[in-house]
Amino acid sequence: MDVLALISPAFFGLVAAGTVIGIFFGAIPGLTATMAVAVCLPLTYSMGLGTGLAFLLGLYVGGISGGLVPAVLLNIPGTPSSIATTFDGYPMARRGEGERALKIGICASLFGGLFSLVVLYLFAPPLADFAIKFSFVEKFLIILLALTLLAALGSGMLTGLFSGVLGMFVSLVGVYDINNGGNGDIRLVPGFLETWLESGFSLLPVLIGVFGLTAVLIEAEHGVREDAATKKLLLASGKPFRLSVFRGQWVNLLRSSAIGTFVGLLPGIGGSAASILAYSQEKTFNRKEPDAFGKGAPSGIIASESANNGLTGGALIPLLSLGIPGDATTAILIGAFTLQGIQVGPLFIGDNPGVWQAIVIAMLFANLCMVLVMLFAIRPIARVVMVPKYLLLPIILMMCVVGAYTINSGVMFDVWTMLAFGVFGWLIYKLRLDMAPFVIGFILGPSAEVYFVKSLESFGTLTIFFTKSWIAMLLWVLILASVTASVAIARAGARRARMAAAAEA
Amino acid sequence: MSAPSLLDVTIDFSTSHLVFPTIVGTLLVLMGAVLAVARRHEIRAALAGGIGWPTDMDGLRFFGTLVLTAVYFLAMNEIGWRWPNRGFGFLSASMPFLFAMSVLYLHERSRRHLMLAAVVAVLAPLVAWLVLFRLFDVSLP
Repeated sequence: MDVLALISPAFFGLVAAGTVIGIFFGAIPGLTATMAVAVCLPLTYSMGLGTGLAFLLGLYVGGISGGLVPAVLLNIPGTPSSIATTFDGYPMARRGEGERALKIGICASLFGGLFSLVVLYLFAPPLADFAIKFSFVEKFLIILLALTLLAALGSGMLTGLFSGVLGMFVSLVGVYDINNGGNGDIRLVPGFLETWLESGFSLLPVLIGVFGLTAVLIEAEHGVREDAATKKLLLASGKPFRLSVFRGQWVNLLRSSAIGTFVGLLPGIGGSAASILAYSQEKTFNRKEPDAFGKGAPSGIIASESANNGLTGGALIPLLSLGIPGDATTAILIGAFTLQGIQVGPLFIGDNPGVWQAIVIAMLFANLCMVLVMLFAIRPIARVVMVPKYLLLPIILMMCVVGAYTINSGVMFDVWTMLAFGVFGWLIYKLRLDMAPFVIGFILGPSAEVYFVKSLESFGTLTIFFTKSWIAMLLWVLILASVTASVAIARAGARRARMAAAAEA
Repeated sequence: MSAPSLLDVTIDFSTSHLVFPTIVGTLLVLMGAVLAVARRHEIRAALAGGIGWPTDMDGLRFFGTLVLTAVYFLAMNEIGWRWPNRGFGFLSASMPFLFAMSVLYLHERSRRHLMLAAVVAVLAPLVAWLVLFRLFDVSLP
């Protein structure tokens, strides 16, 4: 489809609307960019391809950006990806420089967003071209690599891998699809549920459950305390914002944006890792004011915010070129793409150049909207963080139900799926397993099965996974490297913990 | 050709739907066991305290959320059947649901808070219905 056929005034209007709604979601503590996309999905059911994508990408960019508002004003990260913004943002706000800190964060976010967009534009098409040559063997190994990477860099190798494999197992429930070359037999389903679970659990009710309902249940479990209302907002009484604060920050901006983009590329690692990694790098390398960090250093905010917006473009690279989501939000985007009849993967960009260009334009416009809205409407947005939860959470629940119910035009089983997975997500949280690997395992499970079984059917030997091509061998090297790295990281962490314990004793 | 080795596999098409689930299931059990061993101290500590619901949990709000949500599903569907394709099931079930949830979540149920909850409970479903059903043609129960 031609890009001009997809772009219309409504397209830009919906990017802007998505960005504004996303900013509100990001700004309200407890709501995340992922939830914004999950909850607003039903709005896109009847939209066309271009407008639907425009709206969702706006939500994504807005949701990641809005998190800095409560991070600065209330010392609560609005989304996990703004965690490092609190380190220096809140001390600035306490000095009366809340507005200055916010504006520094907004400009850094814009830089990070645009940087990663350029990387996306340049690197996604060649990566996709390369990936077209992959056979089922390499595709299976890519999924294996994605799972080990996200386990290695998440909260722990074992926990991450277990969560990922669990997601995969749940995704295999139902029929081994004939359309993918399967034999059409059902498995892992108790007899009385066969009619309902023939095609497995629907993706979007599962995602709405684990990202929407689970968050509400966690709040309910803790008694729905109003944390925002007790604190006073500190906007502007101190130093005003000037662009000159960015003088000498180029290295910081570029490094942090690059870290964010790279972390986005790796599957399953969220924005909090990007933000903390960029912050600690800046803290290590900053020679001018090394002691100012944690007490209100603008460089700290710049590092954290450019990194978390750098994530947006980075996470779209594996999604659009390999069909593997880079984070939880892009995992939901996969569902939304499928709904619009689009299969993301190596063929996507080549087959749909118009859609690809429309995505880049939507991302660009969303970043510009984000800056305009946040710079000029910072005060009303700052008030939103005060919306009481007892009003907000019921509305979120209502939207989750609508999203699950309407996805297949009114199948009640989908709503029960949503409820069941909401509780399941809460259990995952209680057992300290990882949600992101679970979701990515769930999404990639059916493809992994087809690639694995078909490879064995055609070659008849397990050695094919090692000897098929140099790419397969390279992928094994990367898989081993990620496992080794994670073991090393875990050991170093354990050693530090032991030393800290010894020092305390 | 080399001699057949241990790594050679023949997959029977009629049972091919069980190959991958068996492997993934086995992996899951193995990793679960390793994870349980790795966390043995925590598990032992948790078991020593007796099995039961965590004491710091707000049971009323947690289970209240689950029960109200389930009732909401059922009511929405039931009412929706009476007047199909108009979204009235959604509209008439959402308003009391939203109000009940707000009351459940409120800690200090003052007149002002209850009034605010009532206003939001009427307006939010109405806006959602107008936007989703009227504007975007999303089918609602």
